[in-house]
Parts: sequence; structure tokens; C-alpha cells
Amino acid sequence: MAAAQKKRAERVLSFRMRIGLTMILVMLLLLGGRLFHVQGLDPAGHAQAAVSERLRSVPLPAHRGDILDAEGRVLATSVDRYDIVADQQVVDDFVRLDETTGLREEVPVQTGIAELSEIVDLDTEELTDLIIGDSRYSVVTRSLTPEQSQQVLDLEIPGLYAEPVSERSYPSGSVAGSIIGFMGADGPLEGIEAAQDEALSGSDGERIFEVGGDGVRIPIATFEELPAEDGQDVRLTIDQDLQWFAQEAIAKKANQYNAAWGNATVVDMSSGEILAMADSETVDPASPGETEELFRRPLALTQDFEPGSTGKAITFAMALEEGTLNPTDGFTVDNRYEVDGQTISDATRHPTLDMTAAGIFARSYNTGTVMIGGEIPEETRYDYMRRVGLGEPLNIGLGTEANSVLRPPEEWDARQHLTTQFGQGYTTSVLHNLQAFQTMTNGGVDVPLRLVDAYIDADGTEHPVESEPGERIFSEETSEEMLRMFEGVVDYGTGTEAAVSGYRVGGKSGIAEAAGASGGFDGHTQSFIGMAPLEDPKYLVAVTVHRPQGYWRDWEVTDTFREIMSYVLSSYDEAPTGAESEAYDGFEGENQDQPW
Amino acid sequence: MSAEPQPIAPASRGSLARSLSFPTRTDDATSPERSMSPMLRALPKLRQRQKGLIAGIIAVLAVALTIVLAVNIHVANSQYTVVELQNEYRVLSQSNQALTEEVQHLESPQALSSAAVGLGMVMPAEAGALDLADGEVTGAAEPADSGDRPSSFVAAPPAPGGDAAAPLNVSETVTGAPSGILGGGALNTLIEAPSGQNEDQTSAGTQDQFSPTELNGGTIPAPSFD
Repeated sequence: MAAAQKKRAERVLSFRMRIGLTMILVMLLLLGGRLFHVQGLDPAGHAQAAVSERLRSVPLPAHRGDILDAEGRVLATSVDRYDIVADQQVVDDFVRLDETTGLREEVPVQTGIAELSEIVDLDTEELTDLIIGDSRYSVVTRSLTPEQSQQVLDLEIPGLYAEPVSERSYPSGSVAGSIIGFMGADGPLEGIEAAQDEALSGSDGERIFEVGGDGVRIPIATFEELPAEDGQDVRLTIDQDLQWFAQEAIAKKANQYNAAWGNATVVDMSSGEILAMADSETVDPASPGETEELFRRPLALTQDFEPGSTGKAITFAMALEEGTLNPTDGFTVDNRYEVDGQTISDATRHPTLDMTAAGIFARSYNTGTVMIGGEIPEETRYDYMRRVGLGEPLNIGLGTEANSVLRPPEEWDARQHLTTQFGQGYTTSVLHNLQAFQTMTNGGVDVPLRLVDAYIDADGTEHPVESEPGERIFSEETSEEMLRMFEGVVDYGTGTEAAVSGYRVGGKSGIAEAAGASGGFDGHTQSFIGMAPLEDPKYLVAVTVHRPQGYWRDWEVTDTFREIMSYVLSSYDEAPTGAESEAYDGFEGENQDQPW
Repeated sequence: MSAEPQPIAPASRGSLARSLSFPTRTDDATSPERSMSPMLRALPKLRQRQKGLIAGIIAVLAVALTIVLAVNIHVANSQYTVVELQNEYRVLSQSNQALTEEVQHLESPQALSSAAVGLGMVMPAEAGALDLADGEVTGAAEPADSGDRPSSFVAAPPAPGGDAAAPLNVSETVTGAPSGILGGGALNTLIEAPSGQNEDQTSAGTQDQFSPTELNGGTIPAPSFD
């Protein structure tokens, strides 16, 4: 009996073992099959799939370069900001630790929202709309500082996240705003931001690594980092303080005459560097939409107008250069002058005067100018005007080109060969005027105006932009004579208000009619372009006011010129010399005090 | 049995056991068993060496395991340190950035101008220059006009983070908190024992030193959070 029992037990055991063995074999077969499938059929594909499942690639955004002023002060920079985003499905009442009591307290979501409204600039109703709902992604507020965003996160409202964004910051607001330009949602739109985008933006890098199932990086697995190449800083020739001063000064002037716009531009004579380019109203790059479209780009570039009497300087300079004129040559000047069937008249009804060429220039008489310019053939005059830059676009590296319209002599009408001599019948921008004046006063050499001083790599290496070698257009002698003629304007001519005590200052005033949208003239452009110190001219300042309101004889921009020029001279440590004027006599004979 | 008696013990005869050899003094130079004796002696020696090897392998394994473990722990710890340092770096660079922004804001011409006006400064009038070499004065210096403030057509930039609300006013929170034994203030007092300095103040001070707002109608000031 015992033996039979034992036998049966053995049989049962062996039966169970067989079942177990079969099951193990089936499993082994399954695993073997799977192994064969994975390893035998398309092993590379599976390995690849596994790797790409683990691989993560994170872009490393390049730091956008700063825009600096001539002294290295920051005009535009990139800062870290956070967008607060709500996952509305997660937002709910919550529990948090009360720090003062050390107890965990139940906080209704409305309390959290009320606390949030104290941090962000939104009231509780707006916030409730943005936070309560079913959306998985709702932007609550944009561009909070890291500090603010931390305060928001410290509220511990569930479902509220901070997304990092990089934002442009303009510490000086609208100082040089139109030059710096601004960014749109998809990239730079205007100014240096757009024109120098290539240098500023650099190139993004990438970081590749493997993560485990829990999303944590596997420390010993693939790790590649392609470092981002940060953008270069762009240093401008603009002086932030001077720019601000000029903006204030020109805004005051434009405001005084209720003008359409005003512009004041300062140029370093020998290098062609633009030190300030100020408009009566300037865009704030942080919120460009709030400014009228006209003021979103530099007016010195975008606006061209008839220059008026400042254009006489070119006529006088070419007459001196061609040898048809000496500054002290005598002319008998009436207030009307008939030539080629056209009548040219002066702005004032002055008596007939025996004047020198310098006197005609100082008092800005059209009649005398035509007598002088008439000596020079049309073609030669046109040629000189083109050589000082009129009639062709002018580029200072800002994306937009300044325009000037000057028709060739064949296309001039019956009067244009006369009017072009005193700054009418063609248009120029402020920069064209400055470029022409620079050529005349910089020893006769034309040095192109520019705005970018240097590119600075992320590691601090500077790549200065060299001044292009200038082209000689007038002789040194002509330039010297022109300087003394310009001095006459400030000494006893139309620009006496421009004088800066202690310095020798020269310049030329101009007033021209402004063409209306529907043809004809319906306004004026008043301007003054001057330079100092005349012993060794260093700075050019142009002040232009477009469509001032009121009576033309009341308009005066020379006081704004004096304000800016005094600031320039004192802030650039130009010591006053108190030197005597070297202006030519304006009138023939002893009496230099003649009626206007 | 008449033959020369064999030195081998009879016990080994007829069995598979190896014959034992007893080295004798007489034939130790000529006996063939002489060459086998070192082999027999080498066996325990060999066994001794194996023991050392196993112990060595185990030790190496243990050391290797420990090293791997240590490296892993170190890597894991380093990951935490890296994250920690990265956070620290982020916080520091952001606070640095915030301070830089503030400096840049204060350096802006508008901020400088309004700060100057705040100090009572005015626009300069005509300046004269004194030549140190010959003592000559150039230009006619004039006193500045006390009313000639710089204009402010150019809008001042907003202060960085200017949209932020004013820092939380602690006193408001205290006013809003329930008073009495259930209030946060009372709990605060319970949790944080008054410091020695506090005691000194109470013992030295009289009630006159508390302002009416602090007392808020009572005889002793409400506990505060600071």
C-alpha cells in the first residue's frame, strides 16, 4: 500500500513537473521568438528606435548682442523674462504651508487669484477669466521679471507655470529709439536691430543627450553639446547723453512752432561719425505702436525736402573752386534781378547795396547768388552737386537709404537752372546736407557719414569699422575760404543767434517752401547748419524744422543750434579760445552796418 | 618470505590505495620513491595558494563593486550638485541682471536729469573759461537762472520691473489677520519665543515709546511679524 501510494505521488509530481516544464518551454519559445524577431529581423531599426526614444535635443539659444553707444553705455540689451501660463484643468483650490503659523491651510483658488492680482498688473476679474476654465494653455501675463515670476510661483497655485522668454530691453527708453529700431513678434523690424541683425543674433547651438524612462538624463550615455555662438555687440557712434540733449532741444523747438517735425543731427567732422540724430518725437522701442509712424524711423534719413538757402553754400564753394570768384569780389545787389527772362527777388526789400561775395552769402541774397552761379556752366554746377552727394541715395548702414532728388540739367525747367543755385528745385535729406557741408569744411574731403563704430565679439574682441578714405572734392584753399564765409553768416548775417561765446562759429541758414501732397507749396522748412570751432572744425550741427506754424520771419532755429553746439563743445572738452573772427567784410567801403 | 623483506607495509597490498612510502635512512639516495616525495609535499602548498587566490578574487570583486558603487553614488550626487549649482547660477545671474538693469535705468539721461532737478540743479548759463597759463578769462560767464529747469519732452523709460506691485505691506496683513488667541499673531508668539533682545526692549522701554498706530487703541502693541 505504501509503495503504491508513493508511486502515485511520484506520477502526480512528474505530471505537474511536466506541465511546469511545458509552460517554461512555451515561455522560453516566446522569448526566444521575440529575441529572434528583435535581434534577427531589423536589429538596427530597433536599436535606432530605442536610441531615438531616449535621445533628447534641446536648442541652446544664442544670446543676442547688445547695442551700445559710443561710450559703451547700453542702448539695447536682452533680459530674461517669464510668461505666466495656466493649465486651467489643473487649477483648483489648494493646500499650502502657512509660513507664519507653520500649519497647512486650505486656500480657495479665489484667494490665490486675489494675491496674484497684487503681483501682476491685472484685476481679479480679468485674472479669473484667464485662470478658470477648461483650456490647457492660457497665457495669464507676459514678460514678468524673474523676481515677479518667483513671487507668482511662491503662491503655489496649482496649474500656474512660468515659461522663460528672452526679451529686448531698452534702458534709455526713447533716447535714440528711431536709430536703435525695434523688434516685432517674429524678429527685428526697424533700425539697427534689423540692419545689423546678422551680427547681433549669432547662431543657436544644440544639446543632445539620452534620458531614461523617468525623463532624467542618463549620466554616462551620449552627450553632445554644440555651443551657441552669441551675437556680437554693436557699438554705435551715437553719444547717448548728447542724443538726449539734442532730442530735448529739438522737441522744444518743434513744440514752440507747432511744427510737423524737427531734427537735430551732430556729426564729427573728420571721421564722419554721427554723434546724434535727434527727432522732435522718437519712438520708444519697447512700445513702437504708441508712436506715429513718421517718427518710427530717423527723420534725417526718411525725409527729403528742398534745402533752401543752405544750398547756396555749394554754389559759392564751386565758384571759389573754379576760380570764378574771390570772397571779396564786389557786386552791386538790388532786391530784384532779371536774368534770362526770369525775375529773381530777395526775401527782404533791401536797398541796392555794394557788397562782397561774402556779404551776399552772409545775408543770403538770391539775387547776388545768381550773379555768382551764372558764371559757371549748368553742367559743371550739376557735376559739383552730384559730387557732394546730391541726387543719389545715402547709406549709413541703417537699412533705409536717405533720398535726394536732383534732375539732370536737360530736364530742368526754365527757372530751375537759377533756383538750383539757391537750394530750390531739388530735394535733400538732413544727412545729404550734412555730407555736403562736411565736404566743404573738412578741408574739401568727403568722408562718408556712418553710424556703426565697432562690432564686439562675445569674448570682448573689437572689430572697429574704419572710416572710409575720403575723396577730395574741393581744395584746402576753397575750404578755408568757405569757413571764413560761414563765419560771416554768424558774425553779421542771417545767423547771428548761432554765436557761441568764446568760440569761432560758422554756419548757413536756410528756408524753403515745402511741397504739399497735392502739388504746390503749403509750408516751409527752416534750417541751420553750422560748424565749430573754425580754427580746426570738428563738429557739424544741423537743425531742421519742417512746417513750423506762424509767420516765417519769426522762425528762428539758430538758438537751438547754439544750445546744442555749446553742449557739444563743452562736453567734448573743446576749450574756448576767444579768438577774433576772421570773417570777410560784407560790404565794400568802410560802413559795414547796412540796412537789411 | 625468505627474501629481503620489503620496506613497504603489507597493508597496501591487494588494494587500490597508493603505497605509502617511508623514506629510510639507508636507501634515501637510491630509492625510486625519492623523486615522488616532493610532489606529495607540493599538494598542500598548492592548496594554500588557491585559497589566497580565491580570497584575492573576492577582494578584487568587492573592491571593484565598492568602486562602482562609489562612482555611481558620486555621479548621482554630482547630478544633484549640478542641478543645485545651476539653480544657484540662474538665481545669481538673474539678480545680477536685475541690478544691472537698475543701474542702466539710473544711468539713462532722463533719470539723471530728473535726479539733478530733484537735487535743485538747473541748466547752466553762459560759461567763462579761465586760462591757467595767463590767467585770462574767455567768454562772459553768467549766473545760472534758478528757474531754468531742463525740459522733459523725452519720456523717461519705465523703471525695470516697474509693473510690480509695491512690496507687500506687512502691517496690512497684520491688520487683516484675526486677532486674539486664534489670530496669526498669537500663533506666531507661541511658535517663536521672544528673543532676549526683545525682552531687553520690553524691560527697558516704557509704554510711551509705542506710537498710537502701534497700540491701535490698546495698551500694548499687537505682536508683529518682524
